[in-house]
Amino acid sequence: MSDISNFSDEEDSRQDDCALVDALSEINFNEHNIDSIRQNKLEESQEQKHEIHSDPASSSSLNFVDVDEYDYLHDSEWINQKCHVFILSTAGKPIYNLHGDEEKLNTLFGLLQALVSVVQTDDDCIRSITAKNTKFVFLVKSPLILVGVNKSNRSEQQIYNQLMDVYNQIIFIVTLSHMKSVYEKRNNYDLRKLVAGSERWVDHLLRNEKRTRICNSSFVSLTHSVRILPMESSIRDSITSTIQSNCNKIKNLVFAVLLANNKLITLVRMKNYYMHTDDLRLIFNVIDCSESFKSAENWLPICLPKFDSNGALYAHISYISDDCEACLLLMTVDQESFPILSNAKKNITEKLRRGNYIEAINTGMKDKGIKLKSDIGVSEIRHFFYKNKKNTQLLCSEITAPYIDNLDQFEKLEAMYYDLHNRIHRTSRPLKLIYEMHQHEIQLAWVTANYELYATFEPLVDKKSVIIAQVNKLLKWIRKEEDKLFMTGTHIF
Amino acid sequence: MATRKKVLLKVIILGDSSVGKTSLMNQYVNKRFSNQYKATIGADFLTKEVVVDDRVVTMQIWDTAGQERFQSLGVAFYRGADCCVLVFDTTAPNTFKNLDSWRDEFLIQASPRNPEHFPFVVLGNKIDLENRSVSTKRAQQWCQSKNDIPYFETSAKEGINVDIAFQTIAKNALAQETEDLDTTSGFPNITLNADNNPRPSNDGCQC
Repeated sequence: MSDISNFSDEEDSRQDDCALVDALSEINFNEHNIDSIRQNKLEESQEQKHEIHSDPASSSSLNFVDVDEYDYLHDSEWINQKCHVFILSTAGKPIYNLHGDEEKLNTLFGLLQALVSVVQTDDDCIRSITAKNTKFVFLVKSPLILVGVNKSNRSEQQIYNQLMDVYNQIIFIVTLSHMKSVYEKRNNYDLRKLVAGSERWVDHLLRNEKRTRICNSSFVSLTHSVRILPMESSIRDSITSTIQSNCNKIKNLVFAVLLANNKLITLVRMKNYYMHTDDLRLIFNVIDCSESFKSAENWLPICLPKFDSNGALYAHISYISDDCEACLLLMTVDQESFPILSNAKKNITEKLRRGNYIEAINTGMKDKGIKLKSDIGVSEIRHFFYKNKKNTQLLCSEITAPYIDNLDQFEKLEAMYYDLHNRIHRTSRPLKLIYEMHQHEIQLAWVTANYELYATFEPLVDKKSVIIAQVNKLLKWIRKEEDKLFMTGTHIF
Repeated sequence: MATRKKVLLKVIILGDSSVGKTSLMNQYVNKRFSNQYKATIGADFLTKEVVVDDRVVTMQIWDTAGQERFQSLGVAFYRGADCCVLVFDTTAPNTFKNLDSWRDEFLIQASPRNPEHFPFVVLGNKIDLENRSVSTKRAQQWCQSKNDIPYFETSAKEGINVDIAFQTIAKNALAQETEDLDTTSGFPNITLNADNNPRPSNDGCQC
């Protein structure tokens, strides 16, 4: 949510800082509390879930004999992938899978449909199956079935959220009403015909599961937020007003979004229409994935599921210029307005160049995250991410040693953050603060009315006063730099 | 837009218990036959790649339980089928009489858009046995009365007519799968109405 016009919350956030001291004092860092956290964990694991335990005897009703088909189910590399995602129609027709050749997975798609429909016969809906360390999570949204299989200790809810993102990406491509009407006409429809060519957007959305680079992007999806390109607020305001002044008179223009490096520079919207963060993340994903947008102006119908899942907006997508890799999207409901938007974009580029704003954007693009030591002067914090809850914007620090050059270490860190996030937000027992000492690091998660902070410290800081001082210094710095780090205010055409 | 991916055809085999549904499927896919009767519990399926009109497609053949007490996997399987194969035993008249109710049940559960033209294929099985009691003529008449359903007399045991029957099944299934569907009206336009776009509540909206 984001009208930052409400400044009264400012006060609260200031009080929150002091509250950390109190909150930490209450905890006292003694063993007892760590035990109680562990206890929570234990109790959670005993919570009743809709669990189907794998029972070899019960599988006898489905026997698979297939001589021709390559058997992924006996391919240890395939089996041991940390994450699988499958999309199929309720008729069991394959639509997408993350790993492997889907033509060789027909048997598995059949089985997945069987699992869903067996439970449906009892007017129930399958949610998950847990087998040792592997979770199978189902998202049944007729006419689609999405299944996530995960071995990396994610919570059911986290896997479910990932599937929701994937589902929304499919809707982004085909539009919900259109997909439904197609399946109403033909429930055996092969949706790959409509998705063809755009599967890579889903691949890209799941890129953290096939990690090749170490970056903060998985914390963006974990916290359902967006990152902001840092720049002086006066410059950001000027860029915003450049867009406003060139678009004010264009009828039916709903959103203008300027982004670079997966970070938002500014967003202008039509009065009374709102851009949801989940929709914005899909836009970021598609832009990040499509190199071809760089070479020309594009005109693309897109469906923003949270905005309107039953219709498409037409997006004029183009990069600012050869020397500035910021991407401008102008989204309208008018199918005919390409020439007008194309012209507006030219004018915007020209004005940005004249005001030297292109340089400012390029400088901001060099940013790789907050530098804890040189920017803030805190030496004991290794890494953090901070979610501004009012506007769902995320701030991350630069990833440094020992995580930057070691994929294993980074994945462990990531898993710890996922676990922290899960425990602090658990609906049955939400917590405000978690402080934990691990073998190789200390971690803190802290949720207040205005922000969420997740931080990792050096393992040898044993004094709570040091932790408190460092966290307070960090928060103070964030507040001081807020105008630069976050996008505040609403901008309307 | 055509996809380069292989089409998956979903084929459902229905019929009374012990008419030879599983045997037909096994004969077709694995070229095997066993005299031993083992009731199918729930459902079972095999996949096989076939070439139809120079196109390679994958058939996913769902073998169902004929015995009511084993129909535990529910009716959701019928949904989205591309072809339905009705099987009876040429030596057991009751299994032939029941084709009507199998066909009706399928149409109710699968509710295809165009039930009159949904592709069925009828197989009269066990023609290797001597005590035949349903005549070819009688079976053909029934098939004609149901919009000319293709009819084959088969023996899963001897492998008679099994390949040609399934080839027809694949062909008819593919014809219905690839039937043109107008998807051009793909992107419904949005009529702006601010009332339908409430400001997202807590924890969601960017701006």
